[in-house]
Amino acid sequence: MDRRHFLQSASAAALASTTMARAATPAVKPVRLGVIGAGSRGQEDLRQFLRVPGVSVEAICDIYPPRYEQVNRLVGKQIPNTTDHKELLARNDIDAVLIASPVGCHAEHVIASAQAGKAIYGEKALGFTVDDNHNILAAVTSSKVLFQIGHEYRYASWAQEAIRRVHAGEIGTPTHCYAYWHRNGDWRRTVPSPDPDKKLEHLINWRLYRETSGGLGTELGSHHIDMANWVFGEQPTSVIGTNSICRYRDGRTVGDNVQAVFSYSQGRRLVFSSITDNAKLGCEFWIYGTEGSVQITIEDAYFFYENKKSNAPSADKANSKTVVERGVVTGASYSTQGEMPYRGPGEKVVTATSEDPTLASVRSFIGAVRGEHSIFADVHCGFRAAIACSVAHDAVFTEEKTAIPATKIPQV
Amino acid sequence: MGTDFTLYLYSASPSAAAAASQEVFDEVDRIEQLLSNYRDSSELSRINQNAGNGSVTTDPEMLDFLQQSLHWSEVSNGAFDITVGRLMKAWGFFRHSGRVPSDAELEQLRAVTGWQKMKLDPAARTVQFTTPGIELDPGGIGKGFAVDAAVRILRADHISAAMLSAGSSTVYALGAPPHQAGWRVVVPGPLPSRRTLSVITLRDTSLSSADCSQKNFTLGGHLYCHIMNPQTMRPVEGVIQVSIVNPSATASDALSNVIFVQTSAQSVATLKASAPDSRALIVTSKASGDAVDARCTTYRWGSPVDSTHCLP
Repeated sequence: MDRRHFLQSASAAALASTTMARAATPAVKPVRLGVIGAGSRGQEDLRQFLRVPGVSVEAICDIYPPRYEQVNRLVGKQIPNTTDHKELLARNDIDAVLIASPVGCHAEHVIASAQAGKAIYGEKALGFTVDDNHNILAAVTSSKVLFQIGHEYRYASWAQEAIRRVHAGEIGTPTHCYAYWHRNGDWRRTVPSPDPDKKLEHLINWRLYRETSGGLGTELGSHHIDMANWVFGEQPTSVIGTNSICRYRDGRTVGDNVQAVFSYSQGRRLVFSSITDNAKLGCEFWIYGTEGSVQITIEDAYFFYENKKSNAPSADKANSKTVVERGVVTGASYSTQGEMPYRGPGEKVVTATSEDPTLASVRSFIGAVRGEHSIFADVHCGFRAAIACSVAHDAVFTEEKTAIPATKIPQV
Repeated sequence: MGTDFTLYLYSASPSAAAAASQEVFDEVDRIEQLLSNYRDSSELSRINQNAGNGSVTTDPEMLDFLQQSLHWSEVSNGAFDITVGRLMKAWGFFRHSGRVPSDAELEQLRAVTGWQKMKLDPAARTVQFTTPGIELDPGGIGKGFAVDAAVRILRADHISAAMLSAGSSTVYALGAPPHQAGWRVVVPGPLPSRRTLSVITLRDTSLSSADCSQKNFTLGGHLYCHIMNPQTMRPVEGVIQVSIVNPSATASDALSNVIFVQTSAQSVATLKASAPDSRALIVTSKASGDAVDARCTTYRWGSPVDSTHCLP
């Protein structure tokens, strides 16, 4: 066999192998994606979308040209690009859009996409201002397009199982959520120089400026607010908070640390803290109930249980004190540990899969686009978290207790 | 990867340096989440869990990583093999609990080891194992892949001089410090003295080193090295250390394992055929890992080697 024939044989074998591999894969309905906003988060979403069978990327819209080459590299081919989202939405080869633009642009981009009849995967937060959130909710519900918000922890298997168990009463009555998103970094992205009029600074570091960003409370806290909403089954009614700049005095106008308390019915609370100069706690979400606690992180979840305290009448037990009070025999057991925090292990939540939450989230969205199921993290879910973020955005500056408006459009 | 990354860079301002550093370490974190076999939610773990049951769709970056892995397996006749995950666990190199598996156990593991059992379909972005139970281990190539990704960030940020080190086993020299021809990197000699074996100047290229000090265990007085020979299913014996220079950190990382596994003559042949622009310094011994009778072999190394480390 000469070299030419060998290569032909090898190619034929490779082709046959490829055909067999494809034949073994169940056919899936293709879903063609357009992308509005292809920065760091948009690119991470894109990677996850490309891990779902049948998904292709057909066009991107971004006003910062270096993103085009980054996306081409990520997707592995040249992707048509534009700076005009209307041009992208006018394409007839797009089934769904990923919107990962800065939060201040969400209303314009989501409403235009809904009016264009596209299915939408919208990054959180839903909208920037209170009005934005109401307008987005109205546009999405009236257009009846599919919309999923990027609250991916709703799709994390360990979070779903943990909250299912909380709702089943495993930690008693959940009364408080404490959420921490602590980092050690200035949250700043590199800006090309020269940049004399600071245009690039504001374009790239939009998260650092109050007119374009809800700061840590929105960019990070919206996930935790959504989780508290999930636990409590409602949105918060008010917020009180504060913020300051205690380390990064670099011209930013949002705090480099934020603390806020969100009020729910029956006195229940979410306490949120984000600092950016100490990462010991990392990202963790605690649910405190009357009989136990749950810690949910970006990778797993653990249950911890309170020491049992029971005052119910019971038989005398070897390990419990028996007291006679007013002629009634009661038993009570209590293991003392003072006020020391518990530092032992918890019970890990075991699930069949540990798939990355964003992958699970976008996979579910694609399933909904294909008509396989409805959307869990829908536009109402996005509204309930984002409206709290929008109010907290100002409340952490006024440091006054501020009411959070409810939706004007009831969820059907 | 579970390793410490260190970055030195020259920048116009401390704030620009801090921002670039943050982006680099964010990228390393991202690659960790892509490739870690210690994280259940990583993309590599997802492939390990599912590719034995059918084809798994993945993203182009992961596919590129797998293609590069297969390439180095193919050109090295399996001296490098990313499918050694189960083998590494059997020897206790996963979570540091060293043990010596029985011959029968090793024979059974042959069924779930072998790069030929991983099939890629780039057009469909899929990966599939022809045999259930295969596990990928990124240990011999992942750090290099992360370094290459991080260097792309540095270049995009217009950083002209930087040195990135991944646990010191893979380093990348970007540009050169001011008024220098490149970054001077010391290659230490064999243990235990670690006296300088060679000093090499690097510019826009990577250097990866492999030796048994990075991960090993001792049982019955015998040192077992974490670098596995996929053909014998046993840790490599008789090689003290290798260092290899290649413009791609992914390539140099994989090649450091290839050369550690192959004989010196095989290594030189592999380099000539598949990575001719590389440079390599190989230290072997007649006895197992004994530095006393070390021998040095070079391939286009180009820098002086302290011959007191090596037998003539």
